[in-house]
Amino acid sequence: MAVYKRGYRRYRGPLTGSWTRFMVLPRHAWGRLYQQRLVLMLTMLAMVWPLLCAGFIYLTNHVELLQGLEPEFRQFIQVDGRFFSIFMYVQAGFAVFLAALAGPGLIAPDLANNALPLYFSRPLTRWSYALARLMVLVGMLSVVTWVPGLILFGLQVGLAGGWWFWSNWTLGAGMVAGFVLWLLVLSLVAMASSAYVRWRVVAGAVSLAFFFILTGVAEMINNVFRVNWGHVIDPAWAVNQVWCALLGVAPPEGPGAVPSALALAAIMVLLAAVIERRLRPVEIVR
Amino acid sequence: MNTKPVVELENLKVRLGRREILHGISCRLGVSGTGKAVGLLGPNGAGKSTLILTLLGFLRPSAGSARILGLDCRRGMGAARSRIGYMPENDAFIGDMTAVAFLRQMAELSGLPPKAALEKAHEVLFHVGLGEARYRELRTYSYGMKQMAKLAQAIVHGPELVVLDEPTNGLDPAARRRMLKLVGEMKNEQGMSVLICSHLLRDIEQVCDEAVIMKDGAIVHQCNLEEERRSNRRFVELEVTGDDGNLRAALPEIGAEGVSEGGGRWRIVLPLGVEFEAVWALAARQNLLVRKLTHRRDTLEEIFLKAMGHLAHTPGEQLGT
Repeated sequence: MAVYKRGYRRYRGPLTGSWTRFMVLPRHAWGRLYQQRLVLMLTMLAMVWPLLCAGFIYLTNHVELLQGLEPEFRQFIQVDGRFFSIFMYVQAGFAVFLAALAGPGLIAPDLANNALPLYFSRPLTRWSYALARLMVLVGMLSVVTWVPGLILFGLQVGLAGGWWFWSNWTLGAGMVAGFVLWLLVLSLVAMASSAYVRWRVVAGAVSLAFFFILTGVAEMINNVFRVNWGHVIDPAWAVNQVWCALLGVAPPEGPGAVPSALALAAIMVLLAAVIERRLRPVEIVR
Repeated sequence: MNTKPVVELENLKVRLGRREILHGISCRLGVSGTGKAVGLLGPNGAGKSTLILTLLGFLRPSAGSARILGLDCRRGMGAARSRIGYMPENDAFIGDMTAVAFLRQMAELSGLPPKAALEKAHEVLFHVGLGEARYRELRTYSYGMKQMAKLAQAIVHGPELVVLDEPTNGLDPAARRRMLKLVGEMKNEQGMSVLICSHLLRDIEQVCDEAVIMKDGAIVHQCNLEEERRSNRRFVELEVTGDDGNLRAALPEIGAEGVSEGGGRWRIVLPLGVEFEAVWALAARQNLLVRKLTHRRDTLEEIFLKAMGHLAHTPGEQLGT
């Protein structure tokens, strides 16, 4: 019978599992995000570099195509930690812009439209709401970061053979771990700016400015105090330091990977605390 | 009656910062069974919304306990929230979603499988009168339509208890009637329990079976409106023209008592089993022309004013037996 003829009846059927219910939010949010032309275009644009890298991997594994090249150049073009670090820098840049584009639309509209009481009056805690919103960004950014990275890694393994995997598996693991760290930082920054700035465009600008401002502050500290530990408060620099350690690439001069990772952890804890303060169903005027 | 109450409060205290908003409230609401409506009345600042927010688990009690559908508001809210629907007072929606997508998401969050959620979203939107507008974005809705969409999201998952915070606020008379009709259907046809927070006495009187009146963070009166209505069938208001000087002495003829309020207006208490016809006949014998004869209707207003301290006692109360 047609719905409009049937009239309303209370639902009395089975319910879905309570642990997976928070995934409803990312599922609906992804659907809405990819309806935005700009997000879709940027995602497609972010696939160009992985395609070029795939071509590069194909080239390095077909010696016959490199016959005419200088031996030094042939030595230079290899799939190693440096190759994956360059791949990661480019994709990380796309991830920053995608996070700035998509992130502000996650929490800001819920706050502006007072939708949080509707969510929290359902079996959804503040933490599961935050986790769901984090999943939206991490999931979307994964498509342009570690997923194509892992495909490239698989391609190289497929073309070079099993021996390459056994001697370079740490590159794949390091790349995924490095990307996940960066995605967490990006997502938390985007969510925090979205939680505090209700206008989407401004929230996007704030999440971009966050990185530029901290880079500037880090440089200022280094120059004023004539030190180099100021870099640890620059998330981009700190992530790069961790990536270098994970991929076995020579790191830039400054604090090592461990202090950088600790600084990133502290930044993430601060951002999580900032988000937690805003995600309340009611605003209490004390 | 021994039915499990919908809401049970035991010395509930709630503090916001240094201020204590609820001062040790104890009561049992919805004891008359499921499919009943409880009205929460009180002036602004009485603590109605604080009580609702505490029941929903949004605010933590500083002392005492609050149980909703038998589950503790501090520990059992995860389980209780699948069984509760909440319609907040203020605008609450996601502007860039269509009504059907919004309701589907809300139903899925409450635990409905995706297919059932979509079906119920369509069903409930037709039910509240938004069927034709269900593919429009919510931000394009009028105020009245947004109120209906809020009600729809509160009932889309078929909750046992629906909490409505000022549901008729800002609605025109036709929309208000429709909202109250829907609330009536929710309890009578769907068997949902309803907790309505309002300052509009007529709304509460029209749809509620129980009423709780709050003032300054405390419950000052609790009554069963159905019983009040039943008992008020004995109270009648009479308005006559002519010389009514002998009416008071004549009333005992039909076993009634009454007081004159002047200008031909009387308040009369009828004994059990005596109907209006007896009063008509008595008036005819006294050569009085009856201009008005009706049951007393403004019960809740009187109860409310009395609870607020604006009325010393209910008129006619001293006559009751």
